[in-house]
Amino acid sequence: MGTVIAVISGKGGVGKTTTTANLGLGIAMNSKKCAIVDFDIGQRNLDMIIGLENRVVYDMVQVMDGDCTIPQAIIKSKVNENLHFLAASQTKDKSVLTSQKVEKLVKDLKASYDFVILDAPAGIESGFEHTIEFADEAIIVVNPEVSSIRDADRAIGILDAKSQRVKEGHDVQKYLIINRINPAMVQSGEMLKSDDILDILNIKLIGKIPEDKSIIDASNQGRPVVLDKKSEAGAAYIRVANRLCGKDVPFVDVEVTQASGVFKKLAGIFK
Amino acid sequence: MFGWFGKKQSANIAKDRLTVAIMTDRASNSEYPFMDELKAEIIEVVKKYIGVKEVAIKKEVDGELEALSIDIQLDK
Repeated sequence: MGTVIAVISGKGGVGKTTTTANLGLGIAMNSKKCAIVDFDIGQRNLDMIIGLENRVVYDMVQVMDGDCTIPQAIIKSKVNENLHFLAASQTKDKSVLTSQKVEKLVKDLKASYDFVILDAPAGIESGFEHTIEFADEAIIVVNPEVSSIRDADRAIGILDAKSQRVKEGHDVQKYLIINRINPAMVQSGEMLKSDDILDILNIKLIGKIPEDKSIIDASNQGRPVVLDKKSEAGAAYIRVANRLCGKDVPFVDVEVTQASGVFKKLAGIFK
Repeated sequence: MFGWFGKKQSANIAKDRLTVAIMTDRASNSEYPFMDELKAEIIEVVKKYIGVKEVAIKKEVDGELEALSIDIQLDK
């Protein structure tokens, strides 16, 4: 029996899909079988981020409707055989989801994978509720910015009210990822510190991801940034994936502007 | 708290504003599914003794402390 993790944010555009792709691949790199599922029906994007957009034949709605089996719809990653992907439907809308159908899909996936990661749609509507309903754990992605943090708090509130685990009297473990941290701005007091965000949201921190140009470069190519050995964001995502796999990984303070930044700039001049 | 030019740093302003906004959000969005039934039952109980116009239930959070505040408006 695997662990089902919903990746949520409330606000759109904070990096949910990027997080899903990189954690999925990072977990697969730990030799764990991992399925990543795009729940953003009508706005499919995870396929692009992992470079599998040309391989999609069946989507998760067709699996739920019994038009095909999970093995028929699953697409294996080209870069790691442990990573499997299930696409969102691009033609239907969110109303096609029902609790019954989602429960069956999630349980079937849970039976054959170590980790199942569900990429939630933005917002807190029915598509979001179905994504969190049968998840064991949730990863909340925020940017250090007021609207993202406020929306995340609303999403957490709904998670605590609508999760099946909570209704059955259990806890749903919640982890926070602070994405797009700009260390220089944190240092100058122009960006919220991680500690402040943790004070406000009051959930467990599992990762801090620095703002990194290589994220765009990675999505251009459909190759998650964890494959880029030089990327700081990639290294940060690897650390989160390792933590999820039970490894004790110390936190790196990505908010401190590194002295090595000066050397990098110098090195840049001589390129 | 204040930057080099005596201007309050914007991250601190963000924290203060967020803290207030989120507290207000949490209070008005308490997600208890039984809230409507609770309201109806309270009205029934109080009505036995005195006229009730309206019942308002709010969840209030102050740090670790959570409380339900119940306002019963009497029907004169």
